[in-house]
Amino acid sequence: MSIRIERPEPHGGRLIDRVVTDPAAGKKLAKGAAVFDIKPTLDENGVPVRNVYREIMSTCYGFFSPVEGSMKQAEVERILKERRLLNDWVFPYPLVFDVSEEDHKKLGVTPGDRVLLRLKGKPFAILDVEEVYRIDQEELAHKTFGTPENNPEVVKEAFNKKHPGWVIYKSLNPVIYAGKYKIINEPKLRPPFDRFWFPPKKSREEFDKRGWRTVIVHQTRNVPHVGHEFLMKNAAYTGDLEPCHGILVNAVIGVKRKGDYPDEAIVEGHEAVNLGGYIKPERHLVTILLWDMRYGNPLESMLHGIVRQNMGCTHHMFGRDHAAVGEYYDMFATQILWGKGIPSFGFPAPLTDVPYGLKIRPQNMLEFWYCPKCGEIAYSGNCNHSKEKQKFSGSFIRGMVSEGVFPPPVIFRPEVYKVAVKWWKHYNYPFVTPKYLIEREKELEIDLADMDI
Amino acid sequence: MAKLFVVLLDDNRLKKLEGSGLEKQVSKLFGGALNAFNLEVSDEHAQKILEEFSTARIDSRGAITDVPIAFNRVVFDEIAKKKSLGPEVMEGVFARLDEIKEAAAKESEYLPAPDIEV
Repeated sequence: MSIRIERPEPHGGRLIDRVVTDPAAGKKLAKGAAVFDIKPTLDENGVPVRNVYREIMSTCYGFFSPVEGSMKQAEVERILKERRLLNDWVFPYPLVFDVSEEDHKKLGVTPGDRVLLRLKGKPFAILDVEEVYRIDQEELAHKTFGTPENNPEVVKEAFNKKHPGWVIYKSLNPVIYAGKYKIINEPKLRPPFDRFWFPPKKSREEFDKRGWRTVIVHQTRNVPHVGHEFLMKNAAYTGDLEPCHGILVNAVIGVKRKGDYPDEAIVEGHEAVNLGGYIKPERHLVTILLWDMRYGNPLESMLHGIVRQNMGCTHHMFGRDHAAVGEYYDMFATQILWGKGIPSFGFPAPLTDVPYGLKIRPQNMLEFWYCPKCGEIAYSGNCNHSKEKQKFSGSFIRGMVSEGVFPPPVIFRPEVYKVAVKWWKHYNYPFVTPKYLIEREKELEIDLADMDI
Repeated sequence: MAKLFVVLLDDNRLKKLEGSGLEKQVSKLFGGALNAFNLEVSDEHAQKILEEFSTARIDSRGAITDVPIAFNRVVFDEIAKKKSLGPEVMEGVFARLDEIKEAAAKESEYLPAPDIEV
C-alpha cells in the first residue's frame, strides 16, 4: 500500500459550479422572475446574525458541494435525524432560504416559479422554487444543535439564546423556499477580501501551481497569536513521506460574536504571519469562506471538513473547543466525532470511516502554551510543567489589546498586532460591535455590477 | 476555589508602585516579556463580578476576563491606593461600581487606538 496521500475528490464526487459568468446569459435567466431583495436575518434586538447571501455564494461556488441550493423539507428532516443529505452524503446543517409570511404573500410564489434574488438593489442570483414549506424555528434550532437528552455523548447544556448559532435558526422567517440557486451576476469581492478569495476550483488550481500535493488547513476566526502560529507550524509536520507541502488558512468571514476581531483584521493578520516571514509565503496561503458561524463545535467541524476537502486539502487540524462558544458541548466533541464517531448524530464510526463520509484527514491537536521552564512555546502533549505554563488565553490577549498594551513578540508578532491596530483605527474599536455588524451588513463582502433585467 | 485577576503592569504603572513594597509580588509572564499582578479573587467576589458585568467570564486558567477596561483601570487604582493585593482591593472596586459602569457604557462603542505607526 502506498503511503503517498493524494488530493481527495470533492465531497459528493464533483464540485458544484452554479455561477453564470456571461452577463447576457444571466439576464436571460432572470427575465420574468418574481423579484425579492435579500435581507439580513436579525435577532430580537434588530442586530444582524446572518445573511443568506453568504450561503448562496458558498453553495454556488462549490464550497458546500454537493449541496446545490435551499433544502427541501425531507432533506432538512434527514439532516436533523442522521446528518445526511437525501443523496446520502454526510452534511451537518439545514441550509434554507427563508421569507416572512408578508413577503411570501406579496411574492405569491409556488413550486415551479423562479425568484430573482437582488442584493444591494442589484440582480444577484435566481432560486428555482421546487417546494414551499414552513418551519417551527425554535424546534429547528434545538434539533440542529442537539440536546443533552438526545445527544448525551457530547451535548452538556441545553442550547438557548446565548448561543449565536441557535439564535440564527431561531431568528429565521417561517416560510421556506426550497430549490437550486444560480448566481447570474458574477460578484466582485471587495478589498481586502478579494485577494483571499479562492473558491474550491481556484484553490485546487493554486495548489497545482504551487506543487502542493498535501495541504493542512487551519480554521480561524481570530487574529493569530503566536500560539496559533505554532499550532500551524507543528501540525504541518504531519503529511506522508514529508511534512505537508502547504498550510492553508481558511478564515470564516461573516457575522461574528461581539468581542471577536473584525474580519478585515483576521485575514490581514494571518497574511502578516507570512509577510513577516514567520511562515514562508510559498508555504502559507490565506483564504476565506463566506459563512455566518453557527459555533456548532462537532457539527461545525464537519462543515469545515467538507469545505476544505472541496478546496483540495488533505489534512485538517482540530483543537480543543473547535468552533465553540460557551460550554454547550464537550470541549473535545470535535475530536470525538473524528476520532470515534458520535452515534446519536448518526455516526457510529469516525466521519472518515462511514459510507459517503469524508476523505480529509483529521489532525487532532492539543494546545500550545508558553513554558518558562522549557524556555519555549511548548506543546501541551510534551511539556510536563503544568504549574509553570502560561496559556495563550484569547480573553487575556483581548484584554491586553483593549488596554493598549503593546504585546511582546512572544504573544503577538508586531506585524500582526499592527494589523489589528490598523483596523482598530479604522473602526474606532478593536473588536466587533453591533455598529460594526450593522455597517458591515450594508456593505457586505461583494459588489455587483448594474444589470438591467 | 478562588479565582484570579491578572493586572498587567506597563512602565507607567510600575512607576506608580515604586516604594509600595508590591514590586516583589510582580509576576513575570512569557519569559519576562510581561509584568503582572496575579490578584486572588474570592469566589464571592468573582460571582459578584460575573453578576455585575454581562461580558465577564472565567477562562480556562481560572482567570476572570472580558470585564470592561474601566474595571481593569479601577482595580489598578485601588491596588496603588491601598498598596495591597488583599481582598480590600476588590471591596474598593465594588464601592466604585457606578463610576465603572458609566465609563464602561462609553467604551462599548469607542476605545482609543494606541498611538503607534501602522
